[in-house]
Amino acid sequence: MENRAKNIIGKVDVPLLVLFLVLVFTGLLTVYSASFSEESPQIYSLDRAYGKQLVWIIISLIMGVLILTLEGNFIKNSSYIVYGVVTLMLLIVLFMPAIKGAHSWFKIGGFTIQPSEFAKFATSLAIAHFLSTSGVKIQEAKTKVIVFFLIAVPGLLILQQPDPGTLLVFFSFIFVMYREGLSGNILLGMFFAIIIGVMAIFFKASEANVNVFGWVFEANYLYLVVILIATVLIHFGITYLVMPRYRGSKYITNIVGGALAMLLVFSCNYAYDTVFKDRHRDRFEVMFGLKLDRKGVGYNSYQALSAIGSGGPAGKGYFKGTLSNDKYKHVPEQSTDFIFCSWAEEWGFLGSFLLIILYTAFLIRLIMIAERQKSKFTRIFAYCTASIIFFHYMINIAMVIGLAPVIGIPLPFFSKGGSAILGFSIMIFILLRMDSERKDVLR
Amino acid sequence: MLVVTLVFGIRLLYIQVLNDDWKNRAEQISHHKVTIHPARGLLYDRNGELLVAVNQVYDILVTPKDVKDFDTVQFCALFKISREEFLKKIEYASTGYNVSYKASTFIESMSKEEYSRIVPHLKSFNGFDSKRRTNRGYPYGVAAHVLGYVRKISAEQYYADQNGGERYYNQNDYVGVTGLEKVYEKELRGERGSAFFLRDYAGNDKTNLEETYAIAGNSLYTSLDVKLQAYGELLMKNKLGSIVAIEPSTGEILAMISAPSFDPNKLSGREFSENYQVLLNNDTLKPIINRPIYNDNYRPGSIFKLVQALIAMQEGVIFENTGFACNKALINCHNHEDPSNVQIAIKHSCNPYFYQVYKRLIQRGEESSIFKDSRLGIEKWNASVKSFGLGTKLNTDIPGVKTGRIPDANYYDNEFPSKSNPYGKHKWAFSTIYSNSIGEGEIGVSPLQMANLAAIIANRGYYYTPHLVKKIGENGSKRSEYLKKNFTMAAAKYFDPVVNAMEMVVDNGTARAAKIDSISVCGKTGTVQNETFNDHSVFIAFAPKENPQIAIAVYVEYGTWGGVWAAKIASLMIEKYLLKELSEQGKKKEQQVLDAVILDKHSDFK
Repeated sequence: MENRAKNIIGKVDVPLLVLFLVLVFTGLLTVYSASFSEESPQIYSLDRAYGKQLVWIIISLIMGVLILTLEGNFIKNSSYIVYGVVTLMLLIVLFMPAIKGAHSWFKIGGFTIQPSEFAKFATSLAIAHFLSTSGVKIQEAKTKVIVFFLIAVPGLLILQQPDPGTLLVFFSFIFVMYREGLSGNILLGMFFAIIIGVMAIFFKASEANVNVFGWVFEANYLYLVVILIATVLIHFGITYLVMPRYRGSKYITNIVGGALAMLLVFSCNYAYDTVFKDRHRDRFEVMFGLKLDRKGVGYNSYQALSAIGSGGPAGKGYFKGTLSNDKYKHVPEQSTDFIFCSWAEEWGFLGSFLLIILYTAFLIRLIMIAERQKSKFTRIFAYCTASIIFFHYMINIAMVIGLAPVIGIPLPFFSKGGSAILGFSIMIFILLRMDSERKDVLR
Repeated sequence: MLVVTLVFGIRLLYIQVLNDDWKNRAEQISHHKVTIHPARGLLYDRNGELLVAVNQVYDILVTPKDVKDFDTVQFCALFKISREEFLKKIEYASTGYNVSYKASTFIESMSKEEYSRIVPHLKSFNGFDSKRRTNRGYPYGVAAHVLGYVRKISAEQYYADQNGGERYYNQNDYVGVTGLEKVYEKELRGERGSAFFLRDYAGNDKTNLEETYAIAGNSLYTSLDVKLQAYGELLMKNKLGSIVAIEPSTGEILAMISAPSFDPNKLSGREFSENYQVLLNNDTLKPIINRPIYNDNYRPGSIFKLVQALIAMQEGVIFENTGFACNKALINCHNHEDPSNVQIAIKHSCNPYFYQVYKRLIQRGEESSIFKDSRLGIEKWNASVKSFGLGTKLNTDIPGVKTGRIPDANYYDNEFPSKSNPYGKHKWAFSTIYSNSIGEGEIGVSPLQMANLAAIIANRGYYYTPHLVKKIGENGSKRSEYLKKNFTMAAAKYFDPVVNAMEMVVDNGTARAAKIDSISVCGKTGTVQNETFNDHSVFIAFAPKENPQIAIAVYVEYGTWGGVWAAKIASLMIEKYLLKELSEQGKKKEQQVLDAVILDKHSDFK
């Protein structure tokens, strides 16, 4: 036992662990400053956000050490059980009393637990386990359907809470699929779909009219015409540029693609009018710069950007923030989703850029670890981890610096939130444990 | 992933380093500037008595945009105003430089008592608020003309200050409008301070970032003697005219009375507008005018003979013992001995004597043509007279000081009798202008200048520019220009016969009414001819003869000849100032003066 413990410690990936700890404790110090109260000044004050966060970090680290003592195989074989338990929790939590309008939390004493945070690693485990089962091939339709269900079940349960932000994170698994052999065309198709969809919403939201030779069109209808014309042009392009024997499939791809694009535009318009609520519409309008509404919907974004901007090149100094902390509260949610504001205000461009570099380094290290695995399970799990953290990081920062609409998801390791820190820690420590075994197994 | 990092990096670089917009916006969000108003300086009299104090008052403010769900009837009953008045005030609060979304004054300067009656109900009226403010109060209720008053800055003055001025004032600031309040505005107002606060999302000030302290305004220690001032105002009740008393050794003005006067408290409270209308426009006697400095078209009458005598001796056209016969063919006079010297001439105020003196001054025989000769003479004479502070603007620290007029050659060439039809060059000579010789004619002198003349003679030849402020600030000093001696063109030795004559005037001459047994008063009466009604009564004096403490000029409009009212009032002022208590003889005089009603008989005079 002692021998094995030494063994593990010697094999744990130090760069990842160090980056992890740096992010977690920098995050804690930022939460400390962002929600500091003179009534309970100690960092271990349990009645304050930082005290609770510290407790959760300690719990997470203990959990991490426990995970490190587990057998890799045991973890792998528990995947479906973990997935099942967490899915059950997601179901039960829907019957819990609502907090801030969402059925997302179990309340136990002074602490709350958010099962959707655990769904991230649980789903990752299940997908990794399923795809690494011998005989399962991603190219097969059956595989795609099963993976889709593995993601969709917790995803839909989370949507019921409702927590669309977390659901968004589940889309990140598409990257994993791609790495595991999903056709690049699907990824490319999704990429185009996103661009076409965003443009469709933009035209819809702007309510722009276009005057063509005296005929006035709504811009989003004209957009449909443009897609149609593009499809026709590409059709002729194929006729002239592609060798006859390849033409057939290209024609079909083009026509289907064009039709899907138009269908997408239609559905976006439809969704914008019927599915979206006013607050969603407003968020899009603020993001597209159609509105600079500093008092209403644009308030969060305006305050956040002001706080970040006021940091200047070198920041105001630790505990010297004047906008994004509990004392002044100009930035809402300054210790959770908008924690980056506190950091950027206090440490300026140097600090915020350094943090981005840290996250980038962390993600690169995750991919390096993934690529060196002989075990397919570990590799897929590593990619899941990297994708999820990347999505979190990207959407959170983009939102805070005004490049995306306000979507409520936390900055991994940084934002206040016990379940999140525990969920992410479990994920990282499982990966560290699996990685430490990479030379022992040949799978 | 690297693309994302790059995009984030560039975006952050833009927000945090390259572009200042968000920094400015952040400052708007988190910083809060608060102006700290300094206390305005107070005004004291020369003995430390408080002339201008501070009262707590309350302004009621209205933000017209927020006035809704409103019980107008109840409101009007509470504030004791009519519905029309209410609507008019609301209208006013949203026009001009008042805008409907900003608070502006609805009712100004409400007293503490009135405010405490209203304040419990104020909250139930949307759009109304109150602000505490300090207001000027006048414990003695005297010297309204000298002290001036304080008023909310006018739109014109505000814009003038903003465009090319110092850009000091805010729209709701109070400024001194007249009197010392205006002249010493900068000293009295102090320096505004400001504080920067960091405020939280709800607008509460949390942290004091920096503060520049407000510096309280300097108090003014005036030269007025409030008891003398009040006594003067009392004596001038029911009369029109002026009293100016000066301490000759310093030029400090001890009292400056303009009658009729008014209680300065009237221009301090919320009835300002009504009271101002009454004082400025509706009263035919124009109490708002500060006569001692503003009425410079008073002819001095016989008191001017003192100046003529001094100049003539200095110029050598007569000597102390030069005598002229009292030749009534030249100019009318009353019956008295022929003056054999200057003293007797002054004692009897002999008109023919000064006719001849003036003739010698104007027509000196330097040119064969009397016209050319008169031009030369009058220029010389004019310069000499001006050295007595006459016909020149005294730089006294009160607004609206007027120059008076000592005519010169140009005046008769181009302006007299009228600008459209003047005499013209070389068309006039002494014979045209001889009325000037006895202080009539085209000479205009303000009561302040008369008092200054008395001070000059008391000092035997020089004066300090009369002024009203001894000290600016507790440890301050007066303006340096008031420390400078201004010498007349007449040498000190020529003053002795004049002074002696003035003593005789009071002892057994035309001003026996001014005699005080225990004090040697030197004075000179004047009677200014007035064609429409009684002559004006003028008297200047100083006392005691040696080491004079007070020089005084009293001008009583329609007061008949100088010996009657002006001399009595002047002697009472002197006695009160020098002895504090009146003698039996003084008390009798006082009663006569108090009983004398000159004003209401002539109040029809426009």
